[in-house]
Amino acid sequence: MKILVPIKRVADPDNANKLKISSDAKVDTTGLEWKPNPFDEYAVETALRLTENGANTKARVGEVVVVMFGPKEAESTLRAALATGADRAIRIDANDADLDGDVVAQGLKAIVDKEKPDLVLLGKQTVDSDSNQVAQLVAEYLGWPQATFAATIRSEGDKALHVGREVDGGTLHLKVTLPAVVSVDLRIVAPKSVRSAHTAEGHAYPDGVRFAALMAIMAAKKKPLVEEKLSDLVPGATRKIEYTSFALPPARAAGIKVKSVQELVQKLKAEAKVL
Amino acid sequence: MHFLPIEFIGAIRAEFPPRFLEEFISERSELEVFGRDATRDIAPNPSAVVFPRTTEEVSKLLRLCSAHNVSVVPSGGRTGLAGGAVAANGELVLSLEKMRAIGEVDVVARTVRVEAGAITEAVHRHCEKHGLTWPVDFASKGSSQVGGNIATNAGGVRVIRYGLTRQWVLGLQVVLANGDILELNGALEKNNTGPDLRQLFIGSEGVFGVITAATLKLAPVPPPASVFLLGLSSIDAVLSLFRELRRAPLTISAFEFFTDRCAARVSRHRRLEQPLSTPTPYYVLLELEAIEFSDVEPLLQSLFEKELIVDGTFAQHAAQAAALWSLRESISESLSATGRPHKNDIALPIAELESFCIKLEKLIETQYPGWELCLFGHIGDGNLHVNIMKPDALTEHEFCEHTARVDHAIFALVAEHGGSISAEHGIGLLKKDYLRYSRSPQELALFRAIKRVFDSKNILNPGKIIDL
Ligand SMILES: Cc1cc2nc3c(=O)[nH]c(=O)nc-3n(C[C@H](O)[C@H](O)[C@H](O)COP(=O)(O)OP(=O)(O)OC[C@H]3O[C@@H](n4cnc5c(N)ncnc54)[C@H](O)[C@@H]3O)c2cc1C
Repeated sequence: MKILVPIKRVADPDNANKLKISSDAKVDTTGLEWKPNPFDEYAVETALRLTENGANTKARVGEVVVVMFGPKEAESTLRAALATGADRAIRIDANDADLDGDVVAQGLKAIVDKEKPDLVLLGKQTVDSDSNQVAQLVAEYLGWPQATFAATIRSEGDKALHVGREVDGGTLHLKVTLPAVVSVDLRIVAPKSVRSAHTAEGHAYPDGVRFAALMAIMAAKKKPLVEEKLSDLVPGATRKIEYTSFALPPARAAGIKVKSVQELVQKLKAEAKVL
Repeated sequence: MHFLPIEFIGAIRAEFPPRFLEEFISERSELEVFGRDATRDIAPNPSAVVFPRTTEEVSKLLRLCSAHNVSVVPSGGRTGLAGGAVAANGELVLSLEKMRAIGEVDVVARTVRVEAGAITEAVHRHCEKHGLTWPVDFASKGSSQVGGNIATNAGGVRVIRYGLTRQWVLGLQVVLANGDILELNGALEKNNTGPDLRQLFIGSEGVFGVITAATLKLAPVPPPASVFLLGLSSIDAVLSLFRELRRAPLTISAFEFFTDRCAARVSRHRRLEQPLSTPTPYYVLLELEAIEFSDVEPLLQSLFEKELIVDGTFAQHAAQAAALWSLRESISESLSATGRPHKNDIALPIAELESFCIKLEKLIETQYPGWELCLFGHIGDGNLHVNIMKPDALTEHEFCEHTARVDHAIFALVAEHGGSISAEHGIGLLKKDYLRYSRSPQELALFRAIKRVFDSKNILNPGKIIDL
C-alpha cells in the first residue's frame, strides 16, 4: 500500500506563554519553538503501522511519502518523519502566510495526481488553527471516499480499510474502498488501534508515537527529499480565508483574600453575584 | 505523644500574636505529616508544628526554645532522603512554609533575594521571565524549598554543568539557637575578608542555625538542549562512553544512567513506554548543550562501531526531550511507589568508578543473592544511587537488619576507593552510624566543637549528622 501523509509544523503549545502579537494583531512567530502537529505525528505512526508487520517494524511493506507545505527551515520536521520510517519526502515551498486549508487541499490534489497513492492519511486538524478542513476538502477535490476522525483502522490488503470513528456514545464502523482519504484522531496510536494485513491479530504496539532510532536518524539524511513549487502545483493559488486579527486571552484579574466566611458569602452575593 | 513545657507555651502566648498559637499543629495525623521527610525508616513523633512568618519571629521562637530547652527540627519541603527533617523525639517542628516571598530579580547582578520557604520550582518560574534560572534542579523541585536545598547543599541533574547548590548562594540570613540573626556575605560575589562563615551553614542540615533568607546567584537559561537516550550492554560501556564524550569538544549538561530494572518499575508505575526497540541492561540519558545533530554524527557513528552503544534515540523536539527526561526523573518516585527501596547515595572519584563498580557488583551478588538491585544516578559526577528492593518474603525488621550489615561492607569499599557515603542526600539520621567511613575522628571532633559554639544547648536538630 502506498500512503501519502501531509504534515505541518506548529509552534510548540507548551510554549504558549511565549506567544506574542504583532502591532497589526497577527501572531508573531519569532522565537517560538516548533514541533510537528501532534495529529500529524499520529498520522505518520498510523501509516507506518499500516505498511509493516508489527513484529518487525524495520521492514516496510509498501511506501510512506510525507508531504509538507512550508519554508526550507521546516525540512527538519520532514527529516524527523523520515527517521521514524517514512520512505520519501516532498516539500512544497511556501510561506505559512500564503496558505489556508483550501490552498493546501488543492496542492495535495496535484501531488496525489502525480504520486497516485492508495491512501491519503491526515491528522484531523492542526493544533494551531483548529480548522479541520484539509481532509474533507482534499477528498472532495479527488472525488474519493473519506473517513474522518479514525480511532481504529484495520486494513484488508490494498483494497479496503475498516475504520472505527469515535462518535458520541459509541464507535461507528465503516468500510472504505481504496483509494480513500482518512483523517485520524487521538486514540489511533493506542496499542491495538491499527492493524495492517501483515500484522498478527492481537499484536500490541507501545502506546503512542515511536521514537526514531539514532541509526535511522543518520540514515534518514540519505532518504530522498524533493522540493516542488506551489505555483507549479496550483497556478494562481490564493487564500480564501483571511483572518482579521488574533487576540490573547484576557489576563485574569488578581484574586483577593477574605478574612471570614461571612465576608466570602457577602462578596459572592454582592460582587460575584453567584449566590 | 510528647508535650511542650507549659511555661514555654505561656511565654509564646505572651510574646506572639494570637495567630501563632492558633496555627500551632498538635493533631496527631498532621503531626505525622510534618514530622517526617521522604524517608519511611523512622517513625515521626513531634510535639507540635509552628509556622513563623518573619525572621524576627524565628529569632524570638529560638530564643524561647533555648531558654526552655525545647528541641527544634527545621523543616523545609520535607523531600529529604536522609531523615534530616524527621522529628522522632518530641521535637518542635519549625516549618518555613509560610516564609516564601520571592523578591525582584536583579537582571544586571543576576541575583534574587528569597525567603527560605520559597519552593525551588517557584523560584525557577519567577526568574525564567527574565531569561535567568537558579540551576538547582531535580525531580522533587516542585516541593523542596530553597532553605532545604541550601541546608542539604543539594545536587541534582545539572551538577555536571553547574556544580552543587553551594556555588549558587551569595548571601545567607541565618538565625542561631540563641536568637541571634546573622547576615552573611550580603549579595557579594567577591568578599575576601577572612573565613567565609556562610559556607558552614550550607550543607549543615539545620544543626548550626535556621536559614531564613538567601540571595541566590542566577545563570542565564540555557538554550534548548539536545537530549539522547542510549542503550548499552554493560557498566563498562557506560563508563567508556563517558570517557569518550568527555574527550569530545562538547558541553555535557547531563549524563545520567539507570538500569533496565529501574526502567521496568517506571513503566509499571507511570506507564511510560521504553522508546528503544532493542532491550539493553543499561541506559544513559545524555544531554548536550545545543548542537546540530550533524555535529555529533561522526562521534555517534564511531560509538556504534566500537559497540559502546547498542541502540539509541535523539529527541526531535521539546516534547520528546521531556518524555525522555521523565524516564529518568520518575525513578526515585516509582521505586517507592512499587516497593520498599533501601537507598544508598554514594560518590566515587571518576577514576575509581570502574574498579569500584566491579567490586560492588560482586559484593551485591554474594550479599544480596537474587535480590533486586536498582542502580541509577548522576554517573557523570561519580554519583551512584544504589537501591535494594525489599524481597516480599522478608519482614521490615529482617530487611533492615540485613541492609545495615551490608551497608558496612559497601561503605568500607567506598572508603577504600576514596569515595563518600553520601554524595548529595546528606547524613541526617539514616547515615549517621556510617559517617566514620568518610570523615576522620579529628574531623568529627572539630565538628562537635563547632556545633557547641553555635548551639551550646544542643536544641537545633539534635541527633542529626552526629551525636554530641
Ligand atoms: C523524588 C526525589 C528526588 C530527589 N532527587 C535529588 C537529587 O537529585 N539531588 C539531591 O541532592 N537531592 C535529591 N532529593 C532529596 C531532597 O529533595 C533534597 O535534599 C532537597 O534539597 C531537600 O529540600 P527540602 O526543602 O525538602 O528539605 P527537608 O527535607 O525539609 O529538610 C532537609 C534538611 O534540611 C534542614 N532544613 C530544611 N530547611 C531548613 C532551613 N530553612 N534552615 C535550616 N535547615 C533546614 C532540615 O532540618 C533537614 O535536615 C530528592 C528527593 C526526592 C523525594
